[in-house]
Amino acid sequence: MMIVMPVMLLVVFGYAASFDVTSIGVAAGPGAEAVVALLPEPFETVEAGAGDPLEALRLNEADVVVAGRPGALTAYIDGSELFTARAALQAVTTVAGQGIPIRAEVAFNPGLETSAVLVPGLAGLILIFIGSLVTSLGVVHERQAGTLEQLAVMPLTARDVFVGKVAPYFGVAALDLTLVLVVGSLLFNVPFIGSVWLLALGSVLFLLVTLGIGVLISTVSQNQGQAIQLAIMTLLPQVLLSGLIFPLESMAPGVRWIGYLLPLTYFNQVARGVMLKDAPLEALVLPIGLLALLGLVVFGLAVLRFRSDLAPSGRRAVAV
Amino acid sequence: MSYGLAGVDVAYGRVVALSRFDLDLAPGSVHALIGPDGAGKTTACKVLVGTRRPERGEVRRPSAHLVGYQPESAGSWPDLTVAENLDFVSRSFGHRRDGRIDELLELTRLRTARDRLAGDLSGGMRQKLAVAMAMLARPALLVLDEPTTGLDPVSRSGLWRLVLRAASEGAAVLVTTSYIYEAERADTVTFLDDGHAIATGTAASIRAGFQGVMSVTAECPEAGTFWRRGRNWRVWTRAGTAPANGTTVAPDLEDVVTAASMEPVR
Amino acid sequence: MTATAATREVERRFGAIAAVSGVTLEVAPGEIVGLLGANGAGKTTLIRMLLGLLVPTGGSVELFGRPPSRESRRRLGYLPQSGGLYDDLSVMENLAFVSGVYGVPAPDLGHLEAVRSRMVADLPLGIRRQVGFLAALCHHPELLVLDEPTSGVGPLARAQLWDTIHAAADSGVAVLVTTHHMDEAEQCDRLVMLSDGVEVASGSVEAVVAGMTSLEFGPSDPAAAMTALEDSGFCVFPVGHGLRVPDASAADIRLVLGEPEMAVATRPATLEESFAVLSSSKRAG
Repeated sequence: MMIVMPVMLLVVFGYAASFDVTSIGVAAGPGAEAVVALLPEPFETVEAGAGDPLEALRLNEADVVVAGRPGALTAYIDGSELFTARAALQAVTTVAGQGIPIRAEVAFNPGLETSAVLVPGLAGLILIFIGSLVTSLGVVHERQAGTLEQLAVMPLTARDVFVGKVAPYFGVAALDLTLVLVVGSLLFNVPFIGSVWLLALGSVLFLLVTLGIGVLISTVSQNQGQAIQLAIMTLLPQVLLSGLIFPLESMAPGVRWIGYLLPLTYFNQVARGVMLKDAPLEALVLPIGLLALLGLVVFGLAVLRFRSDLAPSGRRAVAV
Repeated sequence: MSYGLAGVDVAYGRVVALSRFDLDLAPGSVHALIGPDGAGKTTACKVLVGTRRPERGEVRRPSAHLVGYQPESAGSWPDLTVAENLDFVSRSFGHRRDGRIDELLELTRLRTARDRLAGDLSGGMRQKLAVAMAMLARPALLVLDEPTTGLDPVSRSGLWRLVLRAASEGAAVLVTTSYIYEAERADTVTFLDDGHAIATGTAASIRAGFQGVMSVTAECPEAGTFWRRGRNWRVWTRAGTAPANGTTVAPDLEDVVTAASMEPVR
Repeated sequence: MTATAATREVERRFGAIAAVSGVTLEVAPGEIVGLLGANGAGKTTLIRMLLGLLVPTGGSVELFGRPPSRESRRRLGYLPQSGGLYDDLSVMENLAFVSGVYGVPAPDLGHLEAVRSRMVADLPLGIRRQVGFLAALCHHPELLVLDEPTSGVGPLARAQLWDTIHAAADSGVAVLVTTHHMDEAEQCDRLVMLSDGVEVASGSVEAVVAGMTSLEFGPSDPAAAMTALEDSGFCVFPVGHGLRVPDASAADIRLVLGEPEMAVATRPATLEESFAVLSSSKRAG
């Protein structure tokens, strides 16, 4: 453990840590195809269904949309993808400098502020802290103090105990999320132009996953030390491999797949999309859907394990 | 040269653990420290061996390599065998190949278990191992914190044999226990409650200091000062007013302690 | 009358180790049954099976005539060794929670009224245990299971806690209690003694002692005498500054110690001594 872990971490994160942008998806509006074809690597042409450039960006159809009248083209750059946007801006400026009549406009996070891109994901990180770490510590503590055993002999269903134990953490986490987003927005001028309800939906689903992980950890931990170790093991990958800091696209494929399994990856997409781009539901179907799936699986597993952990004997007759 | 404590005060924040506490331990004798949980027994042990510095007061103890200590928790390393545990302690105290380890293995009847992991031993055997480890370096001061708690009667008395043996080797032995009757086996006793020494001295002198008469009745008394013990009731009366349906008995340590805990002491 | 709680040849294995094997016991209404044994002898495992927290790997467990279920929980009260209370809540809050779960009014605090709003962690152990009792009894259970309810508590508090136990039994509750104190064991109607997961004795106190006697004497060197006697296979108990040996003859003792003239008195064996003899003979045979 002490030897394998650090080596593994080094290898994984070594391949993950990269800010290099390998491809920028650019869509061409009518009349702009010729110019778009001239754009150098790493620009790659993609098809955009939406007519309006900003709508196309909202729907994640492309990273850059070039539109306008020939001779006065504008490259609309999606500012919510920080490194991609920076690379695109650089490239467009260079191309314009070579005489092609194209100007860049950064939509969504025009200042290309790092904080705008980071704060939504950080809110998610804090949710993991409360949902997974604090929850697991609380439940393990009760198991050690014997109060959980007391609940097991009371006429309560496992569901009653589960909800009773988990609900407060849910409430606190929801409060914390709101606090972080409000303060973060005010302090760092992070825009919030999207639908609060969409973000709430994503948050609730994300919370289900993290709380489920917290309870699962508590069912396999004998003491708080173990719970902390396990919680950190779920926290660390999410910090580094969820696209919070290093873009997913920049990661080596051998490592990127881990990111696709992490709940924070999808929460990040939802939060960024809603806050910075006012992304509509259609754009977020995938991350929300996956969060829902993860939530179902993890939470379901947690309830099952908790129930068997609490008191195995139900109404069945005892085998002789 | 006696070891012990004089006027020791220990507090954890606002909670007073020990108050003006005196303790005298003569070499070659066993002193029992009895009292309920939270009375300060463990604190007294810690101050005596030096893991806790008192707020006030004097501590008399020999140099570290002459102190043997078995704290309330395990005391042996569960992943090492019996022999390895003893060997480790022996080395820490300056390895002397004088057959002491074999002697202790014999004394504790752990010889046949010498290659078993300490973690696999029964509670009684583990406690004996822990005491053996504390006795290994022939300490001048041996402090055992609740070595008999939770053990079966056979292990309990086997453990006392070790205690008596340590005293006969010249050590000043302090044993804390929650079983009052065990204190009757010691040379001197201190009863501790809430950080204060309620009674101290030989068991005989403590019993002699008892005021009043103890009787035993089979039926629960209608009035007076009494408490249940076993199937009977112990009744405490002033001299000359023993209950008619009772048998007068000589008070034992538990009577003295129980009566003392009824009085407002401070 | 059906026993309130019963096990028949119940067994629980963990891997290759049998924590409890073939234990049969019953607790009837109004009875106090004492469960004795060293830590690790299987008492806690047995209790957990009785409460429905652990499924037996052999034999059967019945509560109120049927296997343990969620319904049976309503009729039982449990006081674990840890106290069963939330340390960071007050006395009143703990009792309100427990009575709320069972759907009964909060119990009358009696003399504990003075500490109703004190946090449990701040109370002395004896008081904490009394609150625990109140909580375990608030819903008037038919079965009360107590795991070392008096451990760590002073003699007066112990006596008072046992008054509560007797009061419960007198009102018809079936009580199962574990203890390490022999004077508490004497107060039980019946005893079950466990050693290494196996039942070594059961029955009333008289039945367990069964007329065994102990020899009491005062050798010049108690420590050496103990060693010599134990080497010869006797159970030896230090008493004051003398020794007692149960189930032995005076001639044998004198022979082993090499003191043919030593004075030896015969006394009835204590429960502790009977337990020791029964456990060691079970182990040997």
